[in-house]
Amino acid sequence: MSRSRSGWLERYGVGLALVALVLVASIGVPGFFSRGNLTTVLLHVSVNGILAVGMTFVIVTAGIDLSVGSIVGLAGVLVAATVTDAGLLSALGPGGATAVAVAVGVAVGAGVGLVNGAAVAYLGVNPFMVTLATMTMARGAARLFTGGVPIGFPPQSDPHFDLKVAGLDALHALGGGRLPVPGLPRGFPVPALVMLALVALGGFVLARTRFGRHVYAVGGNEEASRLAGVPVRRVKLGVYAISGACAGLAAVLMVGQLRSGGPDAGLLYELNAIAAAVIGGASLFGGLGTAWGALVGALLIGVLNNSLDLLGVQAFWQEISKGGIILAAVLFDVWTKRGSDAGG
Amino acid sequence: MTGLPLLELRGVTRRFPGVTALDAVDLEVRAGEVHALIGENGAGKSTLLRVLAGASLPDEGEVRVDGEAVAFRGPADALARGVTVIYQELTLVPHLTVAQNIYLGIEPARSGILDRAAMRHGAAEALEQVGLRVQPGSLVSRLSVAQQQMVEMARALVRNARVLALDEPTATLTPHEVDRLFERVDLLREAGTGIVFVSHRLDEVRRVADRITVLRDGERVWTGPAADRDDAALVRAMVGRDVEYPRQPAAGPPSGPPLLEAEGLTREPAFRDVSLKLRRGEIVGLAGLVGAGRTEVARVLTGAERPDRGRMRLDGEPFRPRSPGDALGRGVVYFPEDRKRDGLVPRLTVRENVTLSVLRRFSPFGVVRRGAEARAARAAVAEVDLRPPEIERPARTLSGGNQQKVVVARGLMAEAGVLLFDEPTRGVDIGAKAELHRQIRALADGGRAVLVISSELPELLALADRVVVLREGRLTGRISGDAMTAERVMALAVAG
Repeated sequence: MSRSRSGWLERYGVGLALVALVLVASIGVPGFFSRGNLTTVLLHVSVNGILAVGMTFVIVTAGIDLSVGSIVGLAGVLVAATVTDAGLLSALGPGGATAVAVAVGVAVGAGVGLVNGAAVAYLGVNPFMVTLATMTMARGAARLFTGGVPIGFPPQSDPHFDLKVAGLDALHALGGGRLPVPGLPRGFPVPALVMLALVALGGFVLARTRFGRHVYAVGGNEEASRLAGVPVRRVKLGVYAISGACAGLAAVLMVGQLRSGGPDAGLLYELNAIAAAVIGGASLFGGLGTAWGALVGALLIGVLNNSLDLLGVQAFWQEISKGGIILAAVLFDVWTKRGSDAGG
Repeated sequence: MTGLPLLELRGVTRRFPGVTALDAVDLEVRAGEVHALIGENGAGKSTLLRVLAGASLPDEGEVRVDGEAVAFRGPADALARGVTVIYQELTLVPHLTVAQNIYLGIEPARSGILDRAAMRHGAAEALEQVGLRVQPGSLVSRLSVAQQQMVEMARALVRNARVLALDEPTATLTPHEVDRLFERVDLLREAGTGIVFVSHRLDEVRRVADRITVLRDGERVWTGPAADRDDAALVRAMVGRDVEYPRQPAAGPPSGPPLLEAEGLTREPAFRDVSLKLRRGEIVGLAGLVGAGRTEVARVLTGAERPDRGRMRLDGEPFRPRSPGDALGRGVVYFPEDRKRDGLVPRLTVRENVTLSVLRRFSPFGVVRRGAEARAARAAVAEVDLRPPEIERPARTLSGGNQQKVVVARGLMAEAGVLLFDEPTRGVDIGAKAELHRQIRALADGGRAVLVISSELPELLALADRVVVLREGRLTGRISGDAMTAERVMALAVAG
């Protein structure tokens, strides 16, 4: 009896918390419940949501990826450099350069992710330490590449000024673009759409594919999975590559939105992504977590920040309340686990 | 040699769900004696030690120290009364020094500041007494297992231990180290310490024990001076039991050439020069005590570990599996001993666990076709007669017997020719055991080659067509037919 109740809570508890928070905010926060503001929340959440989906893959295998924030920085400066590269722009045009930039961003992210995954899976290094190392290295590489200065909008004196602005504008169609939707005067933000598509894709992969099943199996019992013939190492390699690729994609959207790639972009984003994944029900011990949960976790943080913003609450208080939510989510996790594991 | 009883257990009973681990056991340890505790795997030796150590409370009966009834509420109470247990898994902190470990938890201090000189001095003295020549400041992680054992003994001395229990202390030692250990045991005995010596090696028991207590199925079968019983009588006392399973005879003689063959298989330090042949339609039992290397042999056969030396052939072809997945692809399946640890993914459902090894079959282009998967899972659990046959329950909610059926169902889905069962009925109740036996026999009759590892002799005798015995990593005997008796197997396992 208590098991079924806590199992139900385990599954839908965070969703209920989100619904409750939205209700409270709608009643108590002036300006919250408008179409314009709700799409703003989605836009603000999209980078963290994308990172959280990738992070969920890693956390389900009982791993952790601290490098995603630095990947956003490194991939971002490379994306910005690509899309403002005069040679590339004159050869392929703004559209072509944007396509290359997207590929560069995702490939850089996946590349760092593969390094993480290889070290974890084949060398047996602790994920925390591996990704702490690549986190530091990627950040350093981003600063080295740019000399510490953002790459982006060219100075008026630049001989290729028009070309570079055209490139940034093309990328901005992705990161800052809005699709016309009837009833939404400013349209629907493209990054939010990308995030929702990625959540759906991540959810499908985790729930419906062989790889996804193997991810849960490895996180739930690695040795049993190995003995059952699951290719444990390839699965681990895969989840870190996915997390890195998500970070690369997030970098593309950020650079597009800001028309600039800074070496310090994405600082501490890994912690927000971990928070969203865990709030959304992923267990740091592995075996549990969903892409939809990651979305809900990211939305919960986003709605809270937005409400406090609208109420004019100081940013410092927002941090304190976000910390409180993380704590509550973890306590909730401990509480439901205690109920549901008693039988096993 | 004998003195006053330092420690007495009277009628100690300890029950676990479904098992009585200790049934009204008496034990008396006198000052200046070595009292050996022997018995098969699962006879209750470990539970008895846990009661001595205060780590486990008896459900009934009492523990007396110096004739006075005591209630140990935890290991600290036992230590305070001078009763120390040294477990097979040593409990030192590797990154602390020898002296720090010896004084762990009882550090001498003056107003909260450690008295390091006193620790060094006291540790050096205790090390001297146990005859270990290492610096008190050395890190424990640098010491050998034998040396760490001595440090544990020194630690017991510093705590004024008067009763010292050693749990299979020789299991991980070289013969030379065993000699040194026994010298120390003799010294402690002369100093008046009461020593409980748990072992299943009769030759060692002979060397040190003054008295022997034999446990079997949680009951004390015999206690007396070591000289009163010869080895054969002790073996009989250890194995003579009431549990019998219906014999599962083969439908016909094994057919054809060996399906899986191992020759001179070696993986140091677990086992050496093991040769085996498994034929279709035949069940081979692999007997031996815990630690004899049985599981390690199975893990090499299934590709979970690589052999140092030796050859394997499958169906006449060379067989060198790189991973369990690889072995599985060639039809060799291993059913691990510890289902919770190695067998099941507890959070996944029965369906997901059953299809884990062969998911590829139901996932063209990587996408799992749930309908086909569920149909196959239902068929598989029906074959092993899972009751109730619910496939959407998390595996962790099943009973032990049903969990084992799920593991077997997964193996069956792999359409394997060679099945390696490691303790297939551990933690399974008697009724379910006989049923699993029937199923294993049916699998062999269906043309598969089966290896069964079991610590339960009646199980092996009921199930196996022939038995291979391992002792300390060496193959000490192959027996079949009328020679297959509990006494014969046990004799080969303890003193081959």
